[in-house]
Amino acid sequence: MISAAVGSAGHRRRINWRRWRLLAIGGFLVAIVVFCAVFANFVAPYSPYDLDVASMLQGPSAAHWLGTDEVGRDELSRAIFAARISVEVALVAVGVGLIGGTIIGIFAAYFGGWIDLALMRLMELLFSFPAILLAVILMASLGTSILNAMLSIGIIFIPGFSRLARAATNDVLRQQYIDAARTIGMGDARIMMREILPNVVTPLLVEAAVAFAYAVLLESALSFLGLGAQPPEPSWGNMLNTGRGFMGQAPWLGIVPGMAMFLCVLGFNLLGDGLRDAFDPHLRE
Amino acid sequence: MLRLIAVRLAVFVPTLFAASIVLFITINVVPGSAAKAALGIDATPQAIARFEALNGLDRPLHVQYFDWLGKALSGDFGKSFQNHVPVGPEVARRLPVTLELALFAFLIANIIAVPLGAIAAFYHQRKTDTAITLLATIFGAIPNFWLATLLILVFALTLRWLPAGGYAALIDRPIVNLKQMVMPAVSLGVVSSALLLRIMRTSMIEVLTSDYIRTAFAKGATRGIVIWRHAIRNALIPYLTVGAVEFGFLFGGVVIIEDIFLLPGIGSLVLVGIINRDYPVLLAAALVVTVVVLTANMLVDIVASLLDPRQVRAKRAI
Amino acid sequence: MVRTHRRKDRPPSLAIDRLRVEIATRRGLARVIDDVSLEVWPGEIVGVIGESGSGKTMTALSLLGLMPRRAKIAAGEIKLGGEVITHLPDAARRRLRGSRVAFIPQDALRALNPVLRVDLQVGEPANIHRQTPWDQAKARAVELLRAVHLKDPEQRAREYPHQFSGGMQQRAMIAMGLALEPELLIADEPTTALDVTVQAQVLKLLREIRDSHGTAILFITHDLGVIAELCDWVYVMYAGAVLEQGPVERLFAHPAHPYTQMLLRATPTVRTVQSELLSIPGQIPQPFELPAGCRFADRCPHRFEHCASEPPHLQVEAEHTARCWLLTESITAATAVAAS
Repeated sequence: MISAAVGSAGHRRRINWRRWRLLAIGGFLVAIVVFCAVFANFVAPYSPYDLDVASMLQGPSAAHWLGTDEVGRDELSRAIFAARISVEVALVAVGVGLIGGTIIGIFAAYFGGWIDLALMRLMELLFSFPAILLAVILMASLGTSILNAMLSIGIIFIPGFSRLARAATNDVLRQQYIDAARTIGMGDARIMMREILPNVVTPLLVEAAVAFAYAVLLESALSFLGLGAQPPEPSWGNMLNTGRGFMGQAPWLGIVPGMAMFLCVLGFNLLGDGLRDAFDPHLRE
Repeated sequence: MLRLIAVRLAVFVPTLFAASIVLFITINVVPGSAAKAALGIDATPQAIARFEALNGLDRPLHVQYFDWLGKALSGDFGKSFQNHVPVGPEVARRLPVTLELALFAFLIANIIAVPLGAIAAFYHQRKTDTAITLLATIFGAIPNFWLATLLILVFALTLRWLPAGGYAALIDRPIVNLKQMVMPAVSLGVVSSALLLRIMRTSMIEVLTSDYIRTAFAKGATRGIVIWRHAIRNALIPYLTVGAVEFGFLFGGVVIIEDIFLLPGIGSLVLVGIINRDYPVLLAAALVVTVVVLTANMLVDIVASLLDPRQVRAKRAI
Repeated sequence: MVRTHRRKDRPPSLAIDRLRVEIATRRGLARVIDDVSLEVWPGEIVGVIGESGSGKTMTALSLLGLMPRRAKIAAGEIKLGGEVITHLPDAARRRLRGSRVAFIPQDALRALNPVLRVDLQVGEPANIHRQTPWDQAKARAVELLRAVHLKDPEQRAREYPHQFSGGMQQRAMIAMGLALEPELLIADEPTTALDVTVQAQVLKLLREIRDSHGTAILFITHDLGVIAELCDWVYVMYAGAVLEQGPVERLFAHPAHPYTQMLLRATPTVRTVQSELLSIPGQIPQPFELPAGCRFADRCPHRFEHCASEPPHLQVEAEHTARCWLLTESITAATAVAAS
């Protein structure tokens, strides 16, 4: 019956099997990446730095499951260690963004008035810059290093998180118990920490999962451009960059790091989407 | 209608200035780096001081800014630290390349996103919707520089249908130009389409629950008429407003894509500025990128408002 | 009193026979329309009255084929002008909508597409069903707007819905419905959102349509006053079933069912009755847990042991019937006149 558009009553919070399946796949991919990152030393068959020029540019084989690169290093091991860099950078970057954004957002919503206006205008402005451009410029001024990559990406995330924190704080402020807390003499800082923070945490964490994916993407982009992890440190980005040069002879060098990026980002996106659907009552589909 | 545009412009101009300030501060945040970059790490302090005095880098930041701003407004973007070539003309030469790429990519992104998003919304909660949404998720997870690499592998190296890089102007050799632009535009467009598809889908779902859609069905309209005549126009309004942000992401991507495909655009100029620590170049290129993005946002916003008769014509009070 | 509009030579414009509609929900099978029979003869204006959730709108949607996806016609038959349309395939059903059956919804502002011109929307049925080219369809739209007494129709036609007042919007909806001279017009609370003077004009318009075209009109409402003024026949619905039906004057004068009596005793709208009913112990039964007996028994002041089984339609007088066991006894207090 043609009634797709005539809205149906009856199915709230139906367990959508397909969505749980996607959440599971996302979780699985994320678990693999995190596992590789944490236990790289144990998981990787070779060291990512061992040169073996004799066996350079070999295709996938029993000895080297994903082949070797231009100086004979095992591609699989490098990919595994590269996960560590991506996860580290993403973790710190999201952390920086989360903390910075939460503080700004809560402040803006709590104090309101011109503080709110000023802060949010600033955040909007930062938000309107293309992320990669800002990242690249920040790296240029600060200098290229992994730490600076973490910082730059983190700064880029602050506006997004601040917007979310502000909205969530406003929701909380509309409730009665904030006034109650004030009347019993709780100071501002106390209120923000004890009453507001716990309630805004959930949507922020959900968003953090999606931000993680984006952080991995940005970090890879930066190291692809030579602005992030420097060789011989393996990062999916710089692996892809060098691999590009050997596409004719060794196409797997261009495929492997990109595939790793793709699966990692996909995993975090699926996880983030799944969490968002699970926690946000407004997104009843 | 004119008032609509005027309001948008009034907000646009201060935003532009604010953005230029942010860029200026960001680039100059570390003192002495410009000089060191141009002269080398073991430059003597005297050499650095001389360089800075010569280029006015020893003045207070706000003085530098206004000086730069004044000159920039009259088209003078200074000279490159590297080769002392005026930056302005270089930027002007490169801008059309980037604009062509960005517009082409944006077109591809919308061609994918709008119909698929609309169809997904119409078949909401059924297999088609799930499939399309999954496709969008997959597209959105692909790094655009990886897609570019894969496209080069397949179409340039293996099949030899398309060139792996280089640029010929559209006016000079249109067919070659298009062949060169296809892969870059697809790399950027496909990835951007993911987010746009979701936005379109959400917007369309909202529209399809409206009463006027039921009216359309009640008149005997077919699926096609409901989607393409009644629903899409309404869904486009919030879609454009929200989707304008995506243009910014897409435009950011040109920095990498131009590098990969050796396109002489503003994006690759940004990179040149960074690698050479050539701050006038970097500043100019970054500013142009920002101006384009902000302008695009404003234009899209205006178009979205114009699509809505409620915003264009006053309500009659009878 | 026999149904004056009934004809021997023509079938009823609409005949619903023992319709049952069920929706599969998480909490079980919800029977939203339960054994409903209803007729509308050509030139007749039939009112359907009930609280929200009584199934009145769903009845209209079921014959249009616009029910929610999960709703299914489980039993019964629907006939339009004598033709069975119960399980018509989508394409055939679509051809009926807007051409033989027209639907006029409640909130005209929300029912009109804000980004399309009025002449396009009013002319659309002709373009869809008769392939009328747009310039002709739009010209026809102007005539239709004139027919519903819209002032300055040439100018109005080129405007957008938000530029119309509430009454004008509703007229535009009616014009849209009349475009292809349907056999049956379904009006779903078309006057609820309007103020009293405008309401009167819309009702007058509907009567004119019936008089000039012989259109059958199914008028859904919760406003007793409107039924009294406009309708020839009325069906009283509650929890998905018709509890009483009959000629308007007769039913209002001698309501047989305790529910109808309650409706009439209160001030004109069902909304006030709802709050009054809320204060009565018991609740309106949910469609997925309908009681075995009379569905109103829970709140009925006159219930007795017979009510444990569902009453069929019993005759009050001629074609006026009600589903109440009280009718099997001789004239009781329940059928005594409930003075307005």
